[in-house]
Amino acid sequence: MAFFILRRVGVMALTALCLTFVVFFLTNLAPNLEKLAKTQGNARMSDAEVISWLDRNGYGGPLVQRYGEWLGVVPGWLREDPVTGEWRGRCLARDQAPEDAPRFCGLLQGDLGYSTVSADEVSNIIGGRLQLTGILMFWAFAVMVPSALLVGVLAGMREGSRLDRSLSTFSIASTATPEYVSGVILIVLLASSQIGLSPLLVEWGWLDGGTLFLGSARSAMDDVTFWNFTLPVLTIALYGMGYIARMTRASMAEVMTAQYIRTARLKGVSFRNIVIKHALRNALIAPFTVIMLQFPWLLTGVVIVETLFNYNGFGWTLVQAASNNDIELLLACSIVAVLVVLVTQLISDIGYVFLNPRIRIT
Amino acid sequence: MNAPTTRARPTSHPAAEMYAREYKAGQLSRREFLVRSTALGLSAAAAYSLIGLKPAMAQRATPSMGGSLRIQQGVLALKDPRTYDWSEMGNVSRGLLEYLVEYNRDGSFSGMLLEGWETNADVTQYTLRVRPGVTWNNGDAFTAEDVAANFTAWCDSTVEGNSMAARMGGLVDADTGQARAGGIVVVDDLTVQINLPTPDITLVPGMADYPAAIQHRDLIGTNPLDHNVGTGAYRFADYQVGISARLERTPDHNYWGNAYLDDVTFIDLGTDPAAWFAAAEAGEFDLTYQTVGEFVDLFSAVGWERSDATTGATLAVRFNQLNAPYDNVEVRRAILEAVDLNVVLELGINGQGTTGENHHVCPIHPEYAELPPMTVDKAAAMARLQAAGHGDTDFTLISLDDGLGRFTCDAVAAQMRDAGMTVTREVLPGSTFWNDWLNYPFSATEWNHRELGVQILNLAYRSGVAWNETAFSNAEFDSLLDQANGIQDADARREVMARLQQIMQEEAVTIVPYWRSLFRHYRPGVVNADMHPKFEINIHHLGLSA
Repeated sequence: MAFFILRRVGVMALTALCLTFVVFFLTNLAPNLEKLAKTQGNARMSDAEVISWLDRNGYGGPLVQRYGEWLGVVPGWLREDPVTGEWRGRCLARDQAPEDAPRFCGLLQGDLGYSTVSADEVSNIIGGRLQLTGILMFWAFAVMVPSALLVGVLAGMREGSRLDRSLSTFSIASTATPEYVSGVILIVLLASSQIGLSPLLVEWGWLDGGTLFLGSARSAMDDVTFWNFTLPVLTIALYGMGYIARMTRASMAEVMTAQYIRTARLKGVSFRNIVIKHALRNALIAPFTVIMLQFPWLLTGVVIVETLFNYNGFGWTLVQAASNNDIELLLACSIVAVLVVLVTQLISDIGYVFLNPRIRIT
Repeated sequence: MNAPTTRARPTSHPAAEMYAREYKAGQLSRREFLVRSTALGLSAAAAYSLIGLKPAMAQRATPSMGGSLRIQQGVLALKDPRTYDWSEMGNVSRGLLEYLVEYNRDGSFSGMLLEGWETNADVTQYTLRVRPGVTWNNGDAFTAEDVAANFTAWCDSTVEGNSMAARMGGLVDADTGQARAGGIVVVDDLTVQINLPTPDITLVPGMADYPAAIQHRDLIGTNPLDHNVGTGAYRFADYQVGISARLERTPDHNYWGNAYLDDVTFIDLGTDPAAWFAAAEAGEFDLTYQTVGEFVDLFSAVGWERSDATTGATLAVRFNQLNAPYDNVEVRRAILEAVDLNVVLELGINGQGTTGENHHVCPIHPEYAELPPMTVDKAAAMARLQAAGHGDTDFTLISLDDGLGRFTCDAVAAQMRDAGMTVTREVLPGSTFWNDWLNYPFSATEWNHRELGVQILNLAYRSGVAWNETAFSNAEFDSLLDQANGIQDADARREVMARLQQIMQEEAVTIVPYWRSLFRHYRPGVVNADMHPKFEINIHHLGLSA
């Protein structure tokens, strides 16, 4: 088991290395660097000014060397301004003398670098944003998993019944609707004072002006309430829910046709006991992996939902970093994404062993 | 309430009296008269009295003390104020870094950190009188040294992206790129004298523009976020780019004027007006930076107060003459001939404005000259294009993905297609569009209102200037513009202006489809939040009604 985990961590490190290099390469293409210089310096800079800006801010060297600087295996750049005599450098803090600064400052030293778009250290930004996304994901899972399992089990225990057909239709519809569609529909239906449900409710006197739910989750960053968080959580949950429910249903339906279920039935065990005691545990093995797979899926989901609802978490940060070519923030986001994907897969593999004794990891 | 208590002078300015005569003769509008006479150093009250009117300045209501306000506005990374490139930056730092002069909604100027100013008869010497009793929030006194240090910094054209250097005009020595020797003189603690080699009527509007935020004399060239030192009543409590910026009242700071609110938060909700509207319905802010397009009616429909300002702001759908085929004047003329500006006004901004004339001088500018209307003839346009050998050329029109840019360019493209031209539209998101706005071959740029007609010509159409996105370079235009900059009389300048406007039309420099009315909405109960022709928000004036 220890060897298995070690190997997984090795794969993870290798994947992160490859991915960050690809991201680094793409963000350091000449037009992207020019874009960076213009957003950082002045939108109306000339080409000569762009080149001088890039050179002065450490974007001038060869690509591999700068990637090494970011990793922390090559000493950070250090330059003296020929005009002002001021020292500038990657590892140099404000007003720090060049000889006091550390030689290396990269990922290996625990330094994630500087976010140009936010004008702040990446480590100061990523933490808070991840926490916000964590809250969103927690509620999305809290809604999605129980309801998906319930729908899936209910649909799968009597395959072909009317209940199965209607629940299956619902789950197919919900998983076929992407977040950017369901989000907009939910806003229109529930969060507009002009159309949808809210004006009706106000007319009937059930609602005291305003809207049923809030169409913007900005206030949820300070204080999560039922009103401001329902729509983003529902948007994410609906999409994943249908998928998990379908998997659960398939797995449940298969288990319900197994020999031992028939045996139990013939022995006179009640249907309720068969479902809960015999079928459920075996039926949940497949959905477990699917649920774990939903974590990386959710990462892409939050990109859309956070932008739609103006909730400034990890997904929103990723969009901002990408659209502004914020190199080091984007690299940090990639590392986080790799970690999330591989750690959840590790958990899913280990969890599998506990759910299914026939599988052994060596 | 921050209406300046400019000393009433027994004699007014001779030129101002001339303007008063012009106003009475109907040659100047009230707004033009105010712009020009207050730019010469008259207080708004004195200017009004010259034309026998009561000042309209006192319109600003007095809000109740205290409270907090949230403003929807982009929160951009701050930098050295001289290099500010968006009015949003000026707005967010205006609570901390104030300006010498403020441009008011009615077109007049009033002193902020200056108590007043005078010019000599030929407008080559300005005497700036510093407001006494103003202190920095670090305890230092605000003196003439601060003013002189800022002027010197503004004139430093060697600083990358310092757009103030262009606003200082003749004060910058072309050889050294620095302030002219003897140009900025500290007379005493409260007086600064500015000596210009040539007459310049745009200095005062320049001092009121958003990059002209006044920094402490020892902190020139720094980012205000790094030091939080300013004369304003507020300071930054929190600043997260792209998310929000919060300013709080600086404790133990003796602010010279009045400030009402306890704290103000700027909330960045991206560039999508639909997201602003959803957030407004969710009660997440009290005041929009600007309301655009169809959302003007939507915000009004949900009970928000509407405020509008008529301006010389526009969207210039321009060609870059360094790129083929737009280096061919016949191609540019053909496109201008094909586009019916009335349709663009209707489709682009729902008719919220007045029709433009394909030159960048607006009828509300004092020196605007009326030219014969341009003809729209789609068949002739296409014939012209074919004669130039570009009948099959595919024109790519690039625009920003916002209501204004997208719809206007769609309307322009549709007009061109009606004439038989092939047009491809490319819509870029805000984060990528602005990276290369100067160099797109055919694209649209939003231009804000300027106080005088010559100002925008100096900024954007003179050969080789920093913001010349059309790459327009014309010796006759440049020399006429120099001439216009030195003519104080509106009528005399109009003659030169007529030719300048004509050149812009003849050379088909850009499509100027309309002059926009600007709108802003605020929640009922917010006071002094009216729309400003230059998008200015001074949080010192804002407040909540009692």
